[in-house]
Amino acid sequence: MTEKTDEGRRSFLKLATVAAPAVAAAAVVTTDEAEAAPETQGEGLRKTAHVKAYLDSARF
Amino acid sequence: MNNFIPDEDLLRADLYDFLGALLAFPPEGAVLKQAAELKGDETELGRAISALSRIARAAGPGAVRVEFEALFIGLGRGELLPYASYYMTGFLNEKPLAVLRNDMNRLGIERAPNVYEPEDNIASLCEMMAGMIRGRFNMPAALERQRTFFNAHIAPWAKHFFTDLEGAKSSVFYAPVGSVGRIFMEIEKEAFRMAGDGPH
Repeated sequence: MTEKTDEGRRSFLKLATVAAPAVAAAAVVTTDEAEAAPETQGEGLRKTAHVKAYLDSARF
Repeated sequence: MNNFIPDEDLLRADLYDFLGALLAFPPEGAVLKQAAELKGDETELGRAISALSRIARAAGPGAVRVEFEALFIGLGRGELLPYASYYMTGFLNEKPLAVLRNDMNRLGIERAPNVYEPEDNIASLCEMMAGMIRGRFNMPAALERQRTFFNAHIAPWAKHFFTDLEGAKSSVFYAPVGSVGRIFMEIEKEAFRMAGDGPH
């Protein structure tokens, strides 16, 4: 790949993804929450990591 | 090669992470709120992001979870089967999954021990792309390597899947997620084409 084609690609991406910067923050929050946060409220089964793993394994 | 990752590529990684997160689990409180605060511009991608934000504002986590289950889990099966193997061969766990596992092996990527889903689902593939761009698994992957991976495992079907997601019967919140994904896949394809070894 030459410098020139890379530059073309970069400026294309710059234009095409100009709407995306706001998404960055959302992606970070999303990842954090996926790791932490067992569900606190609600009756019934608590969605702890264990329960979640079980539910995931039961999907198929 | 050094470890500097240009802004454009960080944006791509963010978009992949964002899509991966929305497609792996139904988003809950903080994530929905964050999605509701997104602002798009007048580009095609921007309009899709605005639509996503509008619907995130109106949707509660309960409704989104019900929708997620109808789309991807269902009784027996969900409305859509977001797996490369299914889209490429008509069956689950076929050769595309085996080829992906080989490539993951070569790239030093492993399925997390608490995940039981086949690796060729769209959320995992998005995560893998983001990880390759950011160097989460190893050193950031060179563009050529990203392109080979994208062309082998994502390009043949992801756009069809996102188009299906846009139009699925159960899609409300996930309709604009589908648009964002479809447009992003077009951008990626074009960008990889521009970086490709076509006529110089």
